[in-house]
Amino acid sequence: MYVKVKRSEVGRREALTSYLFILPTMLGFLLFIIGPVIAAIILSFYYWDLFTSPKFVSLGNYKALLHDVHLFIVYKNTLIFVLGVVTLEVGGGLLIALIINRKLHAIFRYVLRTTYFFPMITSVAAVALVWNLLLSTDLGIVNYYLGKIGIPRINWLLSSEEAKVSVILVEVWKNIGFYMVVFLAGLQNIPRQFYEAAEIDGAGGLQRFFYITFPMLSPTVFFLMIIGLINAFQMFDMPYVLTKGGPGDATRTTVMYIYETGFRFFDMGYAATVSISLFVLIIILALLQFRISKGWVFYR
Amino acid sequence: MSVNEVRRKKRLYFSGKILLYLFLLFGILVMVMPFIWMFSTSFGSVETAFSLPPRWIPNLSNIRAYQQLLKSIPFFRYMWNSFKIASLITVGQLVTCSTAAYAFARLHFRGRNFLFFLLLSSMMVPIQVTVVPLFILMRRIHLYDTHASLILPVLISAFGVFLLRQFFLTIPRELEDAARIDGASHFTIYSRIILPLSGPALSALAILTFLYFWNELFRPLIFLSSLDNFTIPVGLVMLRGQYDVGSPTRLMAAVALAVIPVLIVFIFAQRYIIEGVTLTGLKE
Repeated sequence: MYVKVKRSEVGRREALTSYLFILPTMLGFLLFIIGPVIAAIILSFYYWDLFTSPKFVSLGNYKALLHDVHLFIVYKNTLIFVLGVVTLEVGGGLLIALIINRKLHAIFRYVLRTTYFFPMITSVAAVALVWNLLLSTDLGIVNYYLGKIGIPRINWLLSSEEAKVSVILVEVWKNIGFYMVVFLAGLQNIPRQFYEAAEIDGAGGLQRFFYITFPMLSPTVFFLMIIGLINAFQMFDMPYVLTKGGPGDATRTTVMYIYETGFRFFDMGYAATVSISLFVLIIILALLQFRISKGWVFYR
Repeated sequence: MSVNEVRRKKRLYFSGKILLYLFLLFGILVMVMPFIWMFSTSFGSVETAFSLPPRWIPNLSNIRAYQQLLKSIPFFRYMWNSFKIASLITVGQLVTCSTAAYAFARLHFRGRNFLFFLLLSSMMVPIQVTVVPLFILMRRIHLYDTHASLILPVLISAFGVFLLRQFFLTIPRELEDAARIDGASHFTIYSRIILPLSGPALSALAILTFLYFWNELFRPLIFLSSLDNFTIPVGLVMLRGQYDVGSPTRLMAAVALAVIPVLIVFIFAQRYIIEGVTLTGLKE
């Protein structure tokens, strides 16, 4: 009896301590995440320009969503960016990691890791401003050096197709170091014995990659694909600074559209509606990836 | 195998190796070239900024662009603003995330798993969803155009809680048992045992958080409006908007000033930064 009472008292005290420990996080969570999400959903049923009083429009914003030609364009751009950026980041990051992981001179490897990684920690605003000048059609040094090897001038930032390519390439340039170091760490986690055993069995390089390296690395590949997907869907800084969304709407992303709708034209309700559509789309695609991943991701 | 065949294979191997090195060298150039060009341009004059072929060697005595820059915008103020905002958020997150992570990793209470799951699922919410209502809220409570509007909403982080909890779970419980027998409180165990053992995880979170908010553009662009409150990224974007291609040297001087502190920190803390980023990339 005595022990029982004592234990429950200890338990209650532990619970009390726990709630105190999680209080700041839960409070912030309620105030700054759950609250705003609910507010955004409510807001999506209103028209509100902040200056007049909010007007209930029922499903008006959602109907507008379906007929918004602009929105269709920015979503198309965003999807192109997601596809291009994720493929190149994950594929390129893996390729470079595989190359660096071989027998290279230690200093060379150090320089590689440092230089490839550095852009990752600089701000997009800063590097995009530099690339904006480098990619200038007539005065940029990229076209200058391409011209030296016989490639005609490319309208990097001024033609719709090329501008999309530029945004993708510079984004990949900035992030690839992250993908590379994560893959490198993943590669180093693969037990050496696996390769030794494969060598004894006479497996070649390609076989070793497809039967050992890739399966062992697949959780990392999957993780980076999800991260890449979520980040690319929320792309804002790069097109905002590199191309200002142009030419025309060629590089305008969904998030840029939300920003302009909400904070330039102060259409709060519609901005909230578009942001909810983005949220739903990200969830659907992430779940889809999880579903597909069961077929190819191998967990030890 | 004939001698010739061996020689041929050897040659193939070496030419492959040379090709590989050339490929990687080219990659290094692509990564570094924009920074070097930016640096040398910032020390050039407006007339030669776009001269082709570019001048790669900076004329370090020509600091006109920097003087003009510092006269036209309060750049060091922006630096201080960025530093202040990023540090306060980092410190705040370290406190809130580590206490919550300790409770989720070690303590028993009703609703623990449910609350943890709820918190984790919030990582899926893109900030664009919350930013519209937060903008309205900040205007209502008169925090619009203050640094508090940027700091307050991100003093907590579901990701940080998750990261630290995973790390705390790897710390052997035996260490705490001894302290508990001696009658140590949970707070003592948290502050005297768990925290001192969690250096790598705490510094990883600190580095990631600081870098993220130091570089952040989206929210400052929305929540700040007066020039004196700007952070570096917003200042850079505004500078471009103001002069556009007019003064590339001044713009590159601003970019150089923004990048150099990061470069210096990177040179000294490279190992920790890369390890920290990798640690978070490898959560499984």
